[in-house]
Amino acid sequence: MATEARKKEILKGLYDGVVEFDEDKVVELSNAVLAEDVDAYEAIMDGLAAGMEHVGDLYANQEYFVPEVLMCSDALYAGLDILRPHLSGKEADVRGQVVIGTVEGDVHDIGKNLVKMMFDVAGFEVHDLGRDVKLEKFVEEQMKTDSEIVALSALMTTSMLAMPKVIEMIKARNPDAMIMVGGAPISQEVADNYGADGYAQNAANAVQEAIQMVSRLREMGKA
Amino acid sequence: MTLQVQPRRETMTSDERMSAIARGDRPDRIPVLSFTGGFCASIVGYPIRSIYDDPEKSFWAQTWAQELLGHDGWPTFWYASYGGWEFGGEIRMPQSELDQAPVLTRFPARTPEEVEALEIPDVETAGYFPLYTEFARIQQQFGIPVMVPAWGPFTAAANMVGVDKLCRWMIKQPEAAHLLLSKVVAFAKRIIDYFLDLFRGHPLSAGGGCATSSNQLISPRQFEEFVLPHHSEVYGHLSGKGIKPVFCHICGEQNQNLPYWAEVPFGERGILSFGGEVDLERVMDIFGDKHIVAGNVETRVIGEGTWRDVYEQARVCIEKAKYAPGGYVLMAGCDIPPSSPLYNIYALKKAVMDFGFYD
Repeated sequence: MATEARKKEILKGLYDGVVEFDEDKVVELSNAVLAEDVDAYEAIMDGLAAGMEHVGDLYANQEYFVPEVLMCSDALYAGLDILRPHLSGKEADVRGQVVIGTVEGDVHDIGKNLVKMMFDVAGFEVHDLGRDVKLEKFVEEQMKTDSEIVALSALMTTSMLAMPKVIEMIKARNPDAMIMVGGAPISQEVADNYGADGYAQNAANAVQEAIQMVSRLREMGKA
Repeated sequence: MTLQVQPRRETMTSDERMSAIARGDRPDRIPVLSFTGGFCASIVGYPIRSIYDDPEKSFWAQTWAQELLGHDGWPTFWYASYGGWEFGGEIRMPQSELDQAPVLTRFPARTPEEVEALEIPDVETAGYFPLYTEFARIQQQFGIPVMVPAWGPFTAAANMVGVDKLCRWMIKQPEAAHLLLSKVVAFAKRIIDYFLDLFRGHPLSAGGGCATSSNQLISPRQFEEFVLPHHSEVYGHLSGKGIKPVFCHICGEQNQNLPYWAEVPFGERGILSFGGEVDLERVMDIFGDKHIVAGNVETRVIGEGTWRDVYEQARVCIEKAKYAPGGYVLMAGCDIPPSSPLYNIYALKKAVMDFGFYD
């Protein structure tokens, strides 16, 4: 059993390992979490996820750009892969389910993958459909998984036009499903015009929006 | 917003206007260039893919759309996903109303070893180039300058291995990123030489762009290391051959990269077009006395806003850039979605007719 001081050292090391995109360090310390009986949930939330939150700030302040964030996410996943199987039942409970994908006609998936990572870290069960996803597939997957949220991504001005179509298709089958849109050409105004329930300006903001959406659904007794 | 403006008469043809601005003379009014890709196909009743895979239909759809809209310039043939197909990957042309531009379905390389093994392709048969050559022959037939393709190496590299890989390699394996970029540069120079030989004696221009280098993706420091030297090598090769004007679309949010773009050898009086995310006044300060600046009405507004929104944005752009010493061209910030309202695109012409005349 690690001492409090050692536990702090490990959590700080995980935090730094994510921020400094030091994958080896994260793997070593994640193994130390298990070997020294540190709580895996604490290690994820106060180490890895806290580190990723700081990465989000660095990105927002333009100190980090996409290459750095991708490297940080690799370090984060290296730790999550080791620690997640050791969560207790209650801790492993999901906050909600989300279907995510880049819409048909668009093969760019970096933004989608970063949002997916933030959902993973935040404890959502993520059904990732990948990129260039046929619109019917979003509808089918939402119905099949009964996910509360569908997150749609598009990078190109030419592909964002698929969004209002898929929103209409999903809402026609399940009016309670909450739809979030995001990507470089999207704005709050565009999201509103498309009839989306939420707009993800960036990956961190996507999770905040999603949590609020799930809360709204639960208040209405629909989730 | 003032909508009642005294009508003015054009005193130059589109060709005369474009020639004047290329020479550094002041035209009758600000030229307005199309950035309309699949939109042209949609308004003349052709499938969107024909803009990319049918040179003849592409030429005529663009010509007719320009006639209808009163836009200047000449039809061009390009696509943003260049690089992957030419080096042996696979591409899918637009197949449905949602599929509005070619997309790569398989990258030619995903590992540094696969990059090492890539051979520089033969321009005559590589990917898009047989179609491109066919289009260039139509340009030649109608006496239009043949546009020599000027690749942005960083964008091509991202299209060859995937943006995610290239991003990671820049940090983890920079030597793999530079190797990939050097292969693209070698091919890009070969492309220039090929078209120069093929159309020797015919008027030439050159055109290309770079989207993946935007600050939405990479830092200015990464731009300096991975974009600037390779882009400069290709454009230096181009301007060294005396081809002008050189057109370059500097796509997306590039505000922090602007000082580096200023170091790229675009030759004498290049035409540099900028995305709607870029500060046009700063662009004028950096490039306005050396080059012709084009831009930068937001594509999103053209696709989603009202024609009055487009007209107003265009008016503001004109006000900022009209008297740039190097010249100014009104243009959308990027490729316009095919489903944009027709009158929104005409609103660009309407704005230059109302505010773009030189007294």
